[in-house]
Amino acid sequence: MTSNSQLAPPEKAAISVGFMRLTDSAPLIMALEGGTFARHGLDVTLVREVSWANLRDKLVVGKLDAAHLLSPLPMMTTLGAGGIRANLLTGLSLSLNGNALTLASALWDQLGLGDASRPAALATARALKGRLEREPGQPLTFATVHAFSTHSFQLRLWLKAGGIDPDRDVRIIVLPPEQMCDSLARGIIDGFCVGEPWNSVAVQQGIGVVAATGHDIWNNAPEKVLGVTEHWHNHHPATHLRLRLALMEACRELAEPARRREAAEVLSDPRYLDLPVRVLVPSLTGEFGFAKNQPPRWLADFLVFHRYQAGFPWRSHAQWLLREGCAMLGKPVGDDVCQALVQRCYRPDLYREAARHLGIASPSRDAKEENRHAAPWEFEPGITLGPDLMIGG
Amino acid sequence: MTAEIAPAVRVMLVDDNPARAAMVEERLWGCGFEVSLVIPSAAGLLFQIERIRPDVVLIDLESPDRDVLESLAIISHHNPTPVVMFTQEDDPDYIRQAVTAGISTYLVGGINPDQVKPIIDVAIAQFRAFQSLRDELHSTRVQLEERKLIEQAKGLLMAHQKIGEDDAHRLLTKLAMDTNQRLPAVAKTVLATLSPKTSDKGKRST
Repeated sequence: MTSNSQLAPPEKAAISVGFMRLTDSAPLIMALEGGTFARHGLDVTLVREVSWANLRDKLVVGKLDAAHLLSPLPMMTTLGAGGIRANLLTGLSLSLNGNALTLASALWDQLGLGDASRPAALATARALKGRLEREPGQPLTFATVHAFSTHSFQLRLWLKAGGIDPDRDVRIIVLPPEQMCDSLARGIIDGFCVGEPWNSVAVQQGIGVVAATGHDIWNNAPEKVLGVTEHWHNHHPATHLRLRLALMEACRELAEPARRREAAEVLSDPRYLDLPVRVLVPSLTGEFGFAKNQPPRWLADFLVFHRYQAGFPWRSHAQWLLREGCAMLGKPVGDDVCQALVQRCYRPDLYREAARHLGIASPSRDAKEENRHAAPWEFEPGITLGPDLMIGG
Repeated sequence: MTAEIAPAVRVMLVDDNPARAAMVEERLWGCGFEVSLVIPSAAGLLFQIERIRPDVVLIDLESPDRDVLESLAIISHHNPTPVVMFTQEDDPDYIRQAVTAGISTYLVGGINPDQVKPIIDVAIAQFRAFQSLRDELHSTRVQLEERKLIEQAKGLLMAHQKIGEDDAHRLLTKLAMDTNQRLPAVAKTVLATLSPKTSDKGKRST
């Protein structure tokens, strides 16, 4: 491991990093609380934001130096598909998985899945298709957190796997994560795909039942990344490196169950998620409850921060996310454009730079096969990756 | 002449601060806008937009509902609506940079009656320009696709009937007139009918 004295000094030591009220912001919060940022010579202020649009805009105008970002956003913002066009990039993925798909309890009861405590995700999707066919007069509305999010893509994959057309057979809207449970309880929506802790909140309130985890729909999907602007990276390469090093260490520590329980306590603080520890525990410990009054299931991969080279920004992930985003827009991108965008926005070279300093092995190739492996597999000697299947083949 | 011919611009205001909302609403009416609805926050925002179909939505910059509004502009099957953001936070630097970056239109320090009208007008104009550019791009793309279809059909006819390009074009036009269809539709039919039969040249390995 390289000591800090061998690293170039940070161009800017006092930096602001944005995050959202989600459990997968744990690496940022734990790196701050555990003094990891400070050990890397950084004086980090964490800024809680209320919307992805706000987070992105503040990053773009330089009010934030870096941000906890949805994995499709570097490409989609560089493409200019959202509210603004700006070159964003990532050199570090912060987490895999962590989302879930929750249905209103009333809708769950109509699916006729009996008392099975955890039917397969494909079974729940097919049961929903049956419900739509039985009662075509009662259309259903689902919510995700952002147009360009793994949540949108996972919801659409799950619906399609059940034979449901996400553009015709149901209505999909965007709602802020914090409004999901209220909207579900009031019957405004029939289900949602959201990051934790909002599924656990619905389960613990008894208003919803989890029909699928994000992992069920896409094994080890890239969820959040550390996003910066290309301009900021070019002007602060040493600061950016130190930031990645600190966060990689925080992610590695979060592989420890004890650290995860500690994180639940820390994240509960009013400055961070401002929620009871009991709703943060399920996703962080992997003891995940699917319905109220049912014992939780142990899911080791519910939310992954470190295992399976979780930090590596795979270009094959970026390509899939970009294609899916563009397909949703009805504007497919050509191979050239896709490749250029992915190379610009997803930077495995920056990950490798940090990994070398930490003395850890990293994949030597930028892309991997997707939707091929049902079990952990060896990518290269010493590099084990997780399953990567997607629902519905 | 003071009579306004154009109908008033219909504004929807989303603000969780009732006192500020009342003040802003009064000023908007004073500026000649029609305030169609004032709601505290987004629960039901989408449904209200569908019901009211406002010309513009005014929202606090720090509202979580920005993602909701942005999704309206992104996903085409919703009704895209221009959005003007305002902020109570006096951060002139951020606002200036945001405006320079073209993010959207921001109002500093609440709503000033002298500024509100031009800002809303510009936001709507920018939005319309963007929408028409998008529609134009779409129609250009469709036209290109159609032209490609016609060229392919012509090529196929030339090979199949052993005729020249002009004759192939005339044949296509005649087919279109006889069947009362648009040229691209006829081209598609020709492609579908002739493609599999041109066993030597047309076969493509997949």
